[in-house]
Amino acid sequence: MPVCPIILYPDPVLKQATEPIGALDSEVDALIQDLVDTMYDAGHSVGVAAPQIGVSRRAVVVDVSHSKLGKDNNHGLLTMINPRVIEKSGSKTMREGCMSVPDYTGNVTRAETIVVEFTDRAGRSRVIECSGFEAVAIQHEIDHLDGMLFLDRVSSLKTDLFRRKNS
Amino acid sequence: MQHFALTIIGRDRTGIVSQVTEILYELGCNIADSSCSILGGQFAMILILDHPEYVDRDSFGDAFLPLEESGLSVFLRVLKPGGEIRPEIEGEICMISVYGSDKPGIVYRVAQVLGENQVNITDLNTKLVGSADNPVYVLMLEAVLPENMTEQDIDTWVAPLRDELQVDITVRTIHTAEL
Repeated sequence: MPVCPIILYPDPVLKQATEPIGALDSEVDALIQDLVDTMYDAGHSVGVAAPQIGVSRRAVVVDVSHSKLGKDNNHGLLTMINPRVIEKSGSKTMREGCMSVPDYTGNVTRAETIVVEFTDRAGRSRVIECSGFEAVAIQHEIDHLDGMLFLDRVSSLKTDLFRRKNS
Repeated sequence: MQHFALTIIGRDRTGIVSQVTEILYELGCNIADSSCSILGGQFAMILILDHPEYVDRDSFGDAFLPLEESGLSVFLRVLKPGGEIRPEIEGEICMISVYGSDKPGIVYRVAQVLGENQVNITDLNTKLVGSADNPVYVLMLEAVLPENMTEQDIDTWVAPLRDELQVDITVRTIHTAEL
């Protein structure tokens, strides 16, 4: 299965809301395989969303198990079709970057713990609770399905900690 | 294309950014990287510019005169070729917080220790906070660690400064997640 080139902003596909996936046919399975292959090929990548390979459909893959930040708390490889966050709690700020927006990073605050429902590659409905880096990665990838980039969520400039007093 | 660095500073008020950028826009200058912030009561702007035809300071003529007349100080630096290109600095990002009762030498001593060990400071902010009776100095800096250097190495080097300067220092690695 092919490793796909990562689509870079300003390609409009990255700012579009994606189409929900209906039947899990061979086309959807091939899409999932492309996402997995592309993620692992990138080496350091822990997640890829379908729009990042130019497909405007609701599918993401996430695997933080090989990363320093996620290796102790993860569900391994997650293939998520029509994923939806149904509960959020806590908050966690991380410095994020994105393969589709090279050379820029920013502090983003997201939920620390999420409950997410999705259909997996085998067609099973699943509901799982994730926390920490895995939760951040899933929220970042699901944002791609709604045409959101981390740039839309940057929570502070690096110097912001000095400004809170009067805000 | 010739690149320039423009620094503008003056008493903070509304409208400085629009006043400056209107002039740059009318001249046909492109703003690349820039950073602007309030420091004390002053608003400071630092911008990297380019212009398709301008070659030196004289090219700008008296375009910045209105800024000077409104109380802003303007400094233009003509960059040498390649001076606009950000170097690729590879390595772990480390955040260092230093804070304590205000006293001379906090920034210098921390920067000296880092410099002696070839640690590249990429971002640094300081602020004097606390009360008139108890001024507290806060220094936050980000540095990129050379290969094979760890957060523990930094901590070991700055440790003597805790006693010497009577400050609290914490060192931590910032993990950037490319998703």
